[in-house]
Amino acid sequence: MHRSSALMRRGAALPLTLRVATMLLMLVNSGCESSSRFPEAALRLPESSLAIRSEQSRMFAASSETEILGASVALLQDMEFNLDEMSGPLGVLSASKVVDADSTAEKTGLLMLDVLCALGGSGNCAAMSSASDEQKIMLTLVVLPSLSRPGDYTARVTIQRVVFDKESRVKVSEQIDDPAVYQEIFANLAKSIALQEMQ
Amino acid sequence: MKSLPPALLATTLLIFAGCAANPQGPDVIGAGSQLEIRQMQTREYDTLDKRMTLRAVISTLQDLGFTIDRADLQIGSVTGTRLSAYTMRITVTVREKGDHQIAVRANARIDEETVDDPKTYQDFFVALDKAMFLVLQKVD
Repeated sequence: MHRSSALMRRGAALPLTLRVATMLLMLVNSGCESSSRFPEAALRLPESSLAIRSEQSRMFAASSETEILGASVALLQDMEFNLDEMSGPLGVLSASKVVDADSTAEKTGLLMLDVLCALGGSGNCAAMSSASDEQKIMLTLVVLPSLSRPGDYTARVTIQRVVFDKESRVKVSEQIDDPAVYQEIFANLAKSIALQEMQ
Repeated sequence: MKSLPPALLATTLLIFAGCAANPQGPDVIGAGSQLEIRQMQTREYDTLDKRMTLRAVISTLQDLGFTIDRADLQIGSVTGTRLSAYTMRITVTVREKGDHQIAVRANARIDEETVDDPKTYQDFFVALDKAMFLVLQKVD
């Protein structure tokens, strides 16, 4: 304690130029130094991975790999996606689309808020302006012959989205983890396979 | 005219020498020892089935929340992207090594930075080990 206060006193007595030089050096260090900013568990398997995997996967019966791949492409087209990449031998379909980020219900709700706000006599009614502009949705559908049940096929879907605000700034960047979304996709894939086989 | 004090002059020179230069070489070539990087990013598996290994890689990337941007059996490569608070991109290559092994190499970037943390790659290979086990045991 005694020693540190003595050091502080000595520091205060440093010539001005030396103090300026020290501050500049500290600035250099903070500006040029590269520090590791990697998230610790960036590639660590989450504990919930098995549950997520089963939520995102479904087994289908189909007459051939070509048949189920064709049905999957048709499903993506039904869902208004553009196919970005396709690897037949690995059963990988990568697709994306850019759509309005706000559901009609959400927009109606925001509009109602503005109406109610205006009716209340407040001059600052801008809930509608908080509506997001658009989102890019990226989807991967992998369809491969089942390893455990020969003749069947396993389909797995993963989806992510980026929501941009009106100034094209990223507002939300996330994985889609709503089980209902995956259930609906698989229900539609089953229909698509049936339609494909009828043709 | 009064000259600048030597300490201030030296510091100013340091600032210009250290920060003003923006060499392009490391941006293109990358930094770090080639051998060390390869060792950290590579693991060998006792199989010769390239397709099954790629299947395990794709499954692992999906387990880790990636969507697949590209996958090529002939070249033996898969590239994926994961969006969260940061954007992570990973490329995994699979090639035959010798008569009885497959070498899997992964390299990842987070936003504008290369991932050079060995633990991150260890985590990836722990996940891939599990997927390889499931694939070799014929579990979907």
